[in-house]
Amino acid sequence: MDYSKQIQDIAAKLFADGKIDVFVGYRMNSFDDNQIPVVITDPKEVAELVFTEKSVFNLTNYLKADHTRNKRVGLVVKGCDSRSLNLLLTESQVKREKLYIIGIACEGVVDDKGQKMQNCVECIVPDAVVFDEMLGTPKGIRDYIVNADIIELAGKGLVERREYFEQIFENCIRCNACRHSCPLCYCAKCCIDQETATIYNGSNTSSSAFHALMTWSLHLAGRCVDCRNCEKACPSHLPLHLLHKQNEKVIYDNFQNHLAGVEEGDRGAFYKYSLKDPDDFIL
Amino acid sequence: MEEVKEKIVSIEKPDLIAPPDWKPVIVGILCNWCSYAGSDLTGTSRTQYPPNIRIIRVPCSSRVDPWFIIKALQTTADGVLISGCHPGDCHYISGNYYARRRFLVTRELLKMVGFHEHRVQFSWVSAAEGSKFAQVVKKVTEDVIKLGPLHLYKKENFSK
Amino acid sequence: MSFSTFVTDKTGLQKLYEAIISKHETYAPVEKFGKYDYKKVSSLKECDPDSPIAMTMSVKPLFFPRASKIMKYEANSSGTTIMETDEDPLAGKRVVLGVKHCDARGLQVLDAVNKWDYIDSDFLKRRANTVIFSTRCDKADTHCFCTSLDYDLEKLDALDVAVVNGSDGKIYLQARTGKGDIFLKENSDQSTMYDVQNTMDDVRSTKYEEDMKKQYIAFTGSFRLKMDYKDVNEKMAKRFDSPAFEEASRNCVSCNTCAFICPTCHCFKISDEKIKDTGVRYKSYDSCNNVYFTLEAGGHNPRPAKFRRWRQRSMHKFVYYKERFGVNLCVGCGHCAISCPVNISIFDVVNHVANSPASS
Repeated sequence: MDYSKQIQDIAAKLFADGKIDVFVGYRMNSFDDNQIPVVITDPKEVAELVFTEKSVFNLTNYLKADHTRNKRVGLVVKGCDSRSLNLLLTESQVKREKLYIIGIACEGVVDDKGQKMQNCVECIVPDAVVFDEMLGTPKGIRDYIVNADIIELAGKGLVERREYFEQIFENCIRCNACRHSCPLCYCAKCCIDQETATIYNGSNTSSSAFHALMTWSLHLAGRCVDCRNCEKACPSHLPLHLLHKQNEKVIYDNFQNHLAGVEEGDRGAFYKYSLKDPDDFIL
Repeated sequence: MEEVKEKIVSIEKPDLIAPPDWKPVIVGILCNWCSYAGSDLTGTSRTQYPPNIRIIRVPCSSRVDPWFIIKALQTTADGVLISGCHPGDCHYISGNYYARRRFLVTRELLKMVGFHEHRVQFSWVSAAEGSKFAQVVKKVTEDVIKLGPLHLYKKENFSK
Repeated sequence: MSFSTFVTDKTGLQKLYEAIISKHETYAPVEKFGKYDYKKVSSLKECDPDSPIAMTMSVKPLFFPRASKIMKYEANSSGTTIMETDEDPLAGKRVVLGVKHCDARGLQVLDAVNKWDYIDSDFLKRRANTVIFSTRCDKADTHCFCTSLDYDLEKLDALDVAVVNGSDGKIYLQARTGKGDIFLKENSDQSTMYDVQNTMDDVRSTKYEEDMKKQYIAFTGSFRLKMDYKDVNEKMAKRFDSPAFEEASRNCVSCNTCAFICPTCHCFKISDEKIKDTGVRYKSYDSCNNVYFTLEAGGHNPRPAKFRRWRQRSMHKFVYYKERFGVNLCVGCGHCAISCPVNISIFDVVNHVANSPASS
């Protein structure tokens, strides 16, 4: 999977035609074979652009930054990234006519150690679902696989699970990197950052971490696209995907196989309902 | 107050034993149009139910953000009861349908991070079901007494 | 003033560590989710004093905790009562094992600001009661650049007791402060350790000097990142209006991780946890990369743009702090680059700015 040349050509052409002001892509790191995102405004820098299986970061996160706001943006998206883009479009965070989207039929990306990422092994929608131009051959939607870690956790007892999650919340340093690197957390001021809110207090204790992470994951339930930007950003290496995958599984099982952002115009599972939703747990 | 007789151990943390004078606190978040009126009817018809519940009135069950539940569990509550109109009876036509989806996901997530499923319970109680409200509160209180005190992720200095 | 230096080997060091852990309150790097953080330990097995530098969090939280209580209060109709907080859990006598050299330097940098203007007695008390065993690295990591920033073997920057791997499996324990000297003498085990200065064997001492030199050359040679730091402060000061800040910070996602894991960042916020009429006031970390960091009550924000926040961050580290305290607020540990989701290093930013054309 190497589309560097194609992306460079497309970006150069877009700049030459005056169709975009900014291009968001990947470039090589200066010191190893990993890649970092790059925001290009100068057509001369187009030659830096690359795309291989090391292109990990979800670039739709940059659509909320100052450099891209109200500008015409060219963007590279993989399958999961395009799902988050779909949600951003429906939630009126970006305008479709201002974007030129290069979709990738993704074959899965690898982490620093060269191993295929877990979310790519379990990927359901590898092809970009919203694009102006598609690179690679689309492979279609795959079957839903329940996350291996969730299955493992479900087999454990209550006390064991409590101990495991206590460690997660204790090791959280409350830097909020997960939230800032999430493409779908675009609120101008997050509810857990409100100084006046007595409901949440900004101290960096583990009970605050519990409150913040639980609230965060529940506000993303039915919207999370499993791009794992949060895990990449976490300085404590916490398995944050557990919270999201659990929600995703419950939603997929109970709410008509809903997957966030796969269809155009999807607003997430909590913005719609069905009369047949399960209510056997309600007294 | 529902008195606790025998020795009670917290289900999530078996080495935590409830003090002898422990009385469970249950936070009830009730919808204004059905469940709150239902609880009113329970009172006016003089039906007995455990006084461990502390009632908070909200406009609709879909007003309940998951963090209301989390906040209650982190401060003083040992259990939370959320109650709204029966499906189809919502004053705002479809509020409780949206709420139902959120409740299921919240409940499953809390279960995964180590809360017993009976800590957070949901019910549909209409304005005419005074006796059902009494029954629900009784059941929730009994369940929570069996589970023992909640200690998880409590805000320091504020556990009771 | 010279302090004692002991020579031992791997088993001797292990024995010493075990003795320390059994006798004193000890903190050491403990692995959790692939990342090491300093936790209280009760045996050598559960921790790893030789944890890799890239995977180890800073030791700063042991002196400047992520959240510490300032006071408790209770308000009622008759007024507000302020109560004392519980006893500080970090104030007792303790030992920290396996602190990285740069991390230990970070604490010395922080001493300056904690002794200045407002004296942070909590921080200084924690520092005074702690003996630190700092390990010198044999090899630099990808993002390390400590040799570019005032690092000097002769300055003896490490704290209390430095653990240095010599050749032939020898390990040198060098006391670097009076506190470390006393501690090392009290706890040294005569059967496995011997004092370099007191030994009769002259050859051994000269070998020690040679060994140190070799070590140092090998260590400094292993750095990927090198910067001529001598005029970087002047260069930075002249480039306040440089567009280079904007270029260097363009792909930052403002996630604040860099400030939270930095061994020298010391900005904090005050927040109240309150229920009904009682509350606790907490002091916890904050980051200047956060949009809300400078947001004023009236709604005005002097640093709304990302590059302005980056400018503040790099100028504080390399200009303002140096002007005031004579030392850079950066120790070159590279943790910011390691933890950054998009691998921005303060080194790259500063290098980029310092080498850009000066503003008029």
